[in-house]
Amino acid sequence: MTWLVEDRLKPYAARRAEPYLTDAIKTQVAEKYFPRYPRKQAALLPLFHRLRQEYGYIPEQAIDETADFLGIARAEVQDAVSFYEEFRLTPSGEYVISVCRSISCELCGSRAVLERIRHVFGVDPGETTADHKITVLEVECLGACEQAPCALVNEDLHGHLEPDNFVRKLQALSAARDDQGRAAAPTGRTHI
Amino acid sequence: MALVAPILLKRIPAEPAQRRLYRWADYTATGGYEGLQKACAMPPGEVIKLVVDSGLRGRGGAGFPCGTKWTFLPKDIHPRYLAVNFDESEPGTFKDRYLVEHDPHALLEGIAIAAYANRITTSYIYIRGEYHRQAGILEEAVAEAYAYGIFGRKYPGTDIVHNCYVHRGAGAYICGEETGLLESLEGKRGWPRNKPPFPAVAGAFAKPTIINNVETLACLPHIVLHGSAWFKSMGTPSSAGPKLFGLSGHVNQPGVYEEALGVKMSTLIEKYAGGVKGGKYKAAIPGGVSMGVLGTDQYHAELDFDIGKKYNVLGLGTAGVIVMNDQTDLVLALRNIVRFFAHESCGQCTPCREGTAWMHKMLNRIVDGFGRPRDFDLLMEIALSMGAMPGTTICGLADGANWAVRTFLQKFPEEFKARLKCGQVRGVELTATA
Ligand SMILES: Cc1cc2nc3c(=O)[nH]c(=O)nc-3n(C[C@H](O)[C@H](O)[C@H](O)COP(=O)(O)O)c2cc1C
Ligand code: SF4
Ligand code: FES
Repeated sequence: MTWLVEDRLKPYAARRAEPYLTDAIKTQVAEKYFPRYPRKQAALLPLFHRLRQEYGYIPEQAIDETADFLGIARAEVQDAVSFYEEFRLTPSGEYVISVCRSISCELCGSRAVLERIRHVFGVDPGETTADHKITVLEVECLGACEQAPCALVNEDLHGHLEPDNFVRKLQALSAARDDQGRAAAPTGRTHI
Repeated sequence: MALVAPILLKRIPAEPAQRRLYRWADYTATGGYEGLQKACAMPPGEVIKLVVDSGLRGRGGAGFPCGTKWTFLPKDIHPRYLAVNFDESEPGTFKDRYLVEHDPHALLEGIAIAAYANRITTSYIYIRGEYHRQAGILEEAVAEAYAYGIFGRKYPGTDIVHNCYVHRGAGAYICGEETGLLESLEGKRGWPRNKPPFPAVAGAFAKPTIINNVETLACLPHIVLHGSAWFKSMGTPSSAGPKLFGLSGHVNQPGVYEEALGVKMSTLIEKYAGGVKGGKYKAAIPGGVSMGVLGTDQYHAELDFDIGKKYNVLGLGTAGVIVMNDQTDLVLALRNIVRFFAHESCGQCTPCREGTAWMHKMLNRIVDGFGRPRDFDLLMEIALSMGAMPGTTICGLADGANWAVRTFLQKFPEEFKARLKCGQVRGVELTATA
């Protein structure tokens, strides 16, 4: 749960003709998840996880489409989706670095890790680098306190972080280029 | 009595290099699903009675007797659900993750036994969103269990088919609170519900529902196989059995260790976690930040479910022990904990929403060197007024904030009062880097 509401105060996003809930996604969710629950609404979290994987964030338009798809009010979808931190409503960088700031990690030096990231990439928690490569977030306990200090890089946990090494790893990621020497295309993100 | 050999961790060696994932074949080759087999040869009522007799108490934080909870389910109302609480978001807690990422079938066997005993229609494993890899491991194990007929079968003599699904959360601590979990399962925001009605009567989708923690369920195969007397031979009279303890913070070998309930904290720290790192012991949180803090003189505290009254903490909680050495700035430590609650409060109840945010602001001000002598009493007053136990909030999150603040202030008053004098230096680092 978060009290950071700025995201949600942005003006209404532009529409596009092509739906975000493609027929493929709808069929997949309907076949896999609808039978699991007595109510369609319960497929909301699985659906949003699917959208998060597909687009990297939850586009505003997808909220309307979801309401139609699940047969619930738009407000109900908005109410739910705005509650969960993993469902970001704005696009993020190719690599989302979620640094744990809770007690075990802070005791083991998470502040130094975060400071180093801020210093090197010039972004505060919640911000994305200008090249859309790296988004830095501060999050609460990741359930990996024995590996403190730790962070998620997208979905992968990195533990026992040492500021310089970790920053070097991130720099390598953000400098990754494809065979032709271009900066690697963002994976799985169509709208950044 | 201490533990002779690991029980819950029997498939997870202490040596990290030897740890691996136990799939179906490995699990069944090492005695897996024998407990379920034995349970299915008993009438369901006998299984429930066995669990009641074993004295198994919930491992999710509240320590409520597991068998007793099961008996609250009304008879003959179907469908009925089991919600497995794998939200595990309490800072300092990582035991369920550790168990499942190596031995997922241990949880599934427990689920199958609980489901058989209670004639559950559908079991939902609610796993926190950040456990991406673990969700994958669980999905695979569930698929294996379906393939081998553990799930998706009718209970003998009935038309009830038991299904089991993994349901992923998406980053909200409060979804670990049992009714917050149910709301989230239904596709809503995870706002805890007012009780009554209790989940056993009207839980998920308004049907009877049991909510159990991962570790609680993982105890079941062993209880069924070895009996209630065996289970009670470990631990203390009121806190039976083995328990997973997660040690983190200032220890040399942080990790998950298994011991009988009632083990001394000093034993856990010295024998298992390699001693305190970077200095001497100063304070520890016994079981996740909601439980409050143990003082410097409580190093030898015997950790069982009844530590609350004995040591002036809220309870054993999740048994995630966070150790702090004598270099630790406890004002900064408390600020971190209160920030957690302020951030995770779901905002329904005014004392919790406003109280946690207010205390966080005060602690920020104190850290910045602008504390006032009267802040000590003010912090205490705000803390004591919030929670389900003072009766001002819906759920226990506020009690966690209450106990964290009150015990830090009660057990380390000088450290706090010294910071409330005029002209204080600003605190920067929580601890001298070890
Ligand atoms: C704020 C809050 C957070 C909680 N988080 C968890 C959690 O992450 N995992 C868990 O098993 N229990 C958690 N609980 C406890 C559950 O409400 C519930 O008591 C427990 O899951 C019951 O299972 P058990 O009887 O097997 O322990 C939490 C409780 C509160 C008040
Ligand atoms: S006590 Fe706090 S977290 Fe619990 S329901 Fe009330 S506002 Fe939400
Ligand atoms: S405190 Fe950082 S993972 Fe738990």
